[in-house]
Amino acid sequence: MAIQTAEIKPAVPASPLPGIWKTFSRNRIAVFGVAMLIVVVFVAVFAPFIAPFDPKSSQGVGTSDIYNPPSAVHWFGTDDAGKDIFSLFLYGARVSLMVGFFASFISVGIGGTIGLVAGYYGGRVENILMRFTDTMLVIPDLPLIVVIVALTKPSLLNIIFVIGIFGWTTTARIVRSQTLAVKSRKFVLRARGIGASNPHIIRHHILPLVMPILVVNAILVISTAILNESTLSFIGLGDPSAISWGQMLNFAFSRGAMSAGAWWALVVPGCGIVWVVLSLTLLGHGLEQVLNPRLESHHLMPGKPTVQSEAVEVSDETSDAPVLLDVRNLSVHYISDGQAARAVHNVSFQLHEGELLGLVGESGCGKTTLMMALIRLLPAAGQIVSGQVLFDGKDLATLSEEELMDVRWKGISIIFQGAMNALNPVRTVGDQIAEAIIKHTPAMPRGVVDARVVELLELVGIATEHKDHYPHQYSGGMRQRAMIAMALSCNPQVVIADEPTTALDVMIQAQILELLDSLRKRLGLAIIFVTHDLGVVAEMCDSVLVMYGGVTAEYANVDTIYNMPQHPYTQELLKAFPDLTKPEKKLASIPGYPPKLDALPSGCRFAPRCPVAFEKCTIETPKLINVNGGHIVSCHLVENK
Amino acid sequence: MNRWHYLRKKAGWSFFTIVFVIVLNFFLFRVLPGDPARQGVRDPRLTQATIEAIRVRFGLDKPVINCVTTVNPLRLGDCGVNPLDTQFFIYVRNLLRGDMGTSFYYNRPVSDVLWERLGNTVLLIGGGQILAIIVGVLFGVFAAWKARTAIDYGALITGLVAWSLPTFWLGIVLLFWGSNHGFPIGGKSTPGMSSYPFLTQLGDILWHLLLPTITYTIVYMGEYMLIMRSSLLDVLAEDYILTAKAKGLSTFQVLKDHALKNGMLPLVTIIAINLGYTVAGVIQIESVFSWPGLGGALFEAVVRRDFPILQGGFLLIAVSVIIANFIADMTYSYLDPRVQTTG
Amino acid sequence: MPDEFILEVKNLKKYFRAGKQGLFSRREQFVHAVDGVDLQLRRGEVIALVGESGCGKSTLSLTLMGLEDATEGSIFFEGKDVTHLSDKERKSIRQRIQMVFQDPYESLNPTQTIETIVAEPLIVHNIAPTHDERRDRVVRALEDAGLKPAEDYLHRFPHQLSGGQRQRVVIASALVLEPHLLLADEPVSMLDVSIRAEIINLLAELRETRGISVIFITHDLGTVGYFADRVAVMYLGRIVEIGTMREVLTSPKHPYTQALLSVIPVPNPRLRKQRVILQGETPNPIEVPSGCRFHPRCPVAIDVCKQSDPRLFSISETHQAACLLLV
Repeated sequence: MAIQTAEIKPAVPASPLPGIWKTFSRNRIAVFGVAMLIVVVFVAVFAPFIAPFDPKSSQGVGTSDIYNPPSAVHWFGTDDAGKDIFSLFLYGARVSLMVGFFASFISVGIGGTIGLVAGYYGGRVENILMRFTDTMLVIPDLPLIVVIVALTKPSLLNIIFVIGIFGWTTTARIVRSQTLAVKSRKFVLRARGIGASNPHIIRHHILPLVMPILVVNAILVISTAILNESTLSFIGLGDPSAISWGQMLNFAFSRGAMSAGAWWALVVPGCGIVWVVLSLTLLGHGLEQVLNPRLESHHLMPGKPTVQSEAVEVSDETSDAPVLLDVRNLSVHYISDGQAARAVHNVSFQLHEGELLGLVGESGCGKTTLMMALIRLLPAAGQIVSGQVLFDGKDLATLSEEELMDVRWKGISIIFQGAMNALNPVRTVGDQIAEAIIKHTPAMPRGVVDARVVELLELVGIATEHKDHYPHQYSGGMRQRAMIAMALSCNPQVVIADEPTTALDVMIQAQILELLDSLRKRLGLAIIFVTHDLGVVAEMCDSVLVMYGGVTAEYANVDTIYNMPQHPYTQELLKAFPDLTKPEKKLASIPGYPPKLDALPSGCRFAPRCPVAFEKCTIETPKLINVNGGHIVSCHLVENK
Repeated sequence: MNRWHYLRKKAGWSFFTIVFVIVLNFFLFRVLPGDPARQGVRDPRLTQATIEAIRVRFGLDKPVINCVTTVNPLRLGDCGVNPLDTQFFIYVRNLLRGDMGTSFYYNRPVSDVLWERLGNTVLLIGGGQILAIIVGVLFGVFAAWKARTAIDYGALITGLVAWSLPTFWLGIVLLFWGSNHGFPIGGKSTPGMSSYPFLTQLGDILWHLLLPTITYTIVYMGEYMLIMRSSLLDVLAEDYILTAKAKGLSTFQVLKDHALKNGMLPLVTIIAINLGYTVAGVIQIESVFSWPGLGGALFEAVVRRDFPILQGGFLLIAVSVIIANFIADMTYSYLDPRVQTTG
Repeated sequence: MPDEFILEVKNLKKYFRAGKQGLFSRREQFVHAVDGVDLQLRRGEVIALVGESGCGKSTLSLTLMGLEDATEGSIFFEGKDVTHLSDKERKSIRQRIQMVFQDPYESLNPTQTIETIVAEPLIVHNIAPTHDERRDRVVRALEDAGLKPAEDYLHRFPHQLSGGQRQRVVIASALVLEPHLLLADEPVSMLDVSIRAEIINLLAELRETRGISVIFITHDLGTVGYFADRVAVMYLGRIVEIGTMREVLTSPKHPYTQALLSVIPVPNPRLRKQRVILQGETPNPIEVPSGCRFHPRCPVAIDVCKQSDPRLFSISETHQAACLLLV
């Protein structure tokens, strides 16, 4: 018996770096920051070559040179001692950069070490270190620095040292929290399980993941150090032998530049400071975006308009009950960078009153996209490119946002997976349920609303006393029940349940499923139940829609699907699913993995993994065939029969 | 552990920090090289006798703490000294009485000098912070809402630039511009105002307060805007926002009833952490605009090497920040119902 | 005979501190994560450890690995007492017990290449000192885990692999030390259904060819039906039923096992089972119910269940359950 291998190679070519360099160069803010920084460093390094005058010498300087405006000789004018400001400016860059760099070196060194040790070793060590850090954090650092430098000698070394030893607190906090986060990740636990020593783990696992954050923070610390140095110099605590930009401003301000109207003496050095600090800020911000990329969109971004289309009539032979929801040839694409990922293609189904439709598929099959599209909750990149969603006499796909707000929840509501984050953690559960009721029946008096909330909670088995509790005070099962109560609050006709029990224990799952079933019967609901669990589908559903790679593989009533499946994927999936009544049945698996939506195979999407695929399958996409009054299959094998 | 426990712990810790600051404050001025007496009165013509007299006057001849005449650990030993007669003890005792020593420069009690100025600083900070928060929050929310559009990038760049401006320099630029356009050159009020009616005086003070407040607002608004924006970007990507939208709420309702409260939480924490840095801003602004506040007092004390003022000012500022931090912690615990555990 | 059992666990307990109850109580509270577990495992045997969240199965595996320190009881591995060893002493044992975790996305360091990941155990234990020797072993381990050709995978990063492939890498890195015992903590729960069998079949294969014993922890009884020799059901820190796979799955004797089996959905729409749905949720392991810990939720509890805490009673030579009704 040979070991089954993972045959199909990954499509992505191997690259040495996880694409960070590429992302960096695409981030305009970071690149701009680097460019600005390079200019400053260049100026600082080559100041002696660029500067027309030597700022230390007073050669050829007379009283008539005091506060001269910018001219051809003195590009930035002269200062209160008649010296060329441009030259002073260039040399000033050196001081600022040097202080910034070395002071932050000290700060980051101290802070990083403290944070790492505290975060990794925990316990008493962490306690002491973090208490100390928090205390130092609260004490305002500039006054402290001012006091210390005032008491001691204002030399450059001193300034660097003092700024350095008081700038570590934020670094310590950030490094500690990042270390804690990394330490709790499974691969660190694995390393410990292998028997790795602490130094090994720190070096190979903790540091590489803490370093990016540390770098971003270090950049921030440098900019703060530069600002601190300028402020100190401005106050008069700078090193008189090293003219920094802050010093220049100090001289100008305290020696009458204002009254002399010598704006150049005031503006120019400040611009230097702003340039350096801004370059670092941009670089830091850009780096942070690169290292911690946020999702491209959020839920309140405007969506893309639906593409109107003529729908093909799909005859309905599945049931006599009235059709509540009629989805016809729906196709949804995700558009990013001009590329379209075809998430859902040409899917149709009808939902009748009182029916429980099971939507089955594995990761990436498009089932969640399909559900989101029904009530137009797609992310910003999603677009309905064809098809219709007929509900209550209207096509939901083309309704305006205002009209949609009416249909949502009142007509069709949804229960999300993993209710942990589906409920707002800072508002009470009762409040969130009431909110839905108030939105759709604004005339209802508050007392009646509250009574209804209690009624709903009782309906799902939550004691009234929990009404004013917060979601984190509920257990996982309770939260899901609360979600159900909320979903029923406006008496919808259709409820979409998106993997509502996937994250729950099997006993809690049984409770929830029983609840849903009894509510359905009592209230005459129609439910679309999205899941990957074939056992649940068999237990609860009337009809089943099996999706693969965004298309309908098979659509029929539950009995047909389980006892007479026609599509190879359905057949294979059933073989892969365990059956407790036949515990010794060896489970099959389907080699390979689901297709990437932006790189779909030509022809049938399942062909690469299909055990009975033939030549036609890789060339031509199979059509949806109506096998036997309501049994729809998309497979060439069925076509030929 | 519930909220009371949490707050009690925080209060205890704030108290400890204040004690730490008091001790630190004391030792700073003794540990660092430079004899306070010599430094305080820099006239080189002083004779040794006069210097000794000054030392006695300011209590600098007494042992620092028990058995240590200077803070030189090598000189420890039983020296039959009354611990209550040490500098440290006297310092603490006076502090509890509200006596922070006498200013070298003004020759008046430090507490008097600082107390007069405290109100002015509060005026400046109060107005500036409130404005900075309002403007920062509004722009931050707007930018996050319109993420990835030109508005967002514009706000982002504005925030980053504002954050990069040195406070004192911004003050100088505004002052320079202002003085050429009719604004006062500094100070709190125009000389000779005291004879005018109260409202006119008030108006005059507000006129003087305008530019410093604007400086303050610009500097801090940048940071608050950036934080609000990033925090709201995170919040708006959370599942409960999708739930709210699915319930049929309008965008405005979702922002108001779900996003804002969650988004504000990190901001409250940052405002608290920032309080220490706010003080840095105040020192700079007050010195540029000659605004008679605590920061300005600190600035002048540095120039004049007036150590009692420096010491007292630092203490007052640090204690205020610690208390403000505690208030922020308290506020946070009311806003976030998840706060129940050991901080 | 000492060689018969690769693992022997006697009355193992692991408690965690839970802080004091209220401000004025003196009594320290504990989370009774593992509360008296006995277990024996033979060479080449596969035992499935089944239970819902809070039953202590994960804590048990961490304690067996030595990643948590046992509060009470003893663990014997290959005849040696390994309950309280120092890190240094434990290191050599670690070569022979390896662990596979649930989350294939989190088990691998995203900044390391596959080669580095799989080679790490070799470096830690100073085996195969040269780079080439290490590479050979890594390649062999990857191929044994079904990743062929191994050379293709060496330079890739975890994010370039699918979930199933990542889990194979985890297994490969466990295999590279040639362990005798594998602790697999929900190794397939996060994988797609159609891929799960691959990994389980791989583990079965390894048992056949190398005689590796496996403790397979899961909440999903269905997946291990054909792979496990024995099944142990855990509830609130104790094993409440243990027996051969057939015994437990076809004739369960403990009410909890019976309820659990009755509610697991079966992919057969024509089968309408009689389901025993327990009310409420698993109690907090801080406050373990008196007497039989299952009695508050037990559909057939009698008075004596509230007072008496049952041990495991033998139903057959291999089948035991902790229920007073069996006495």
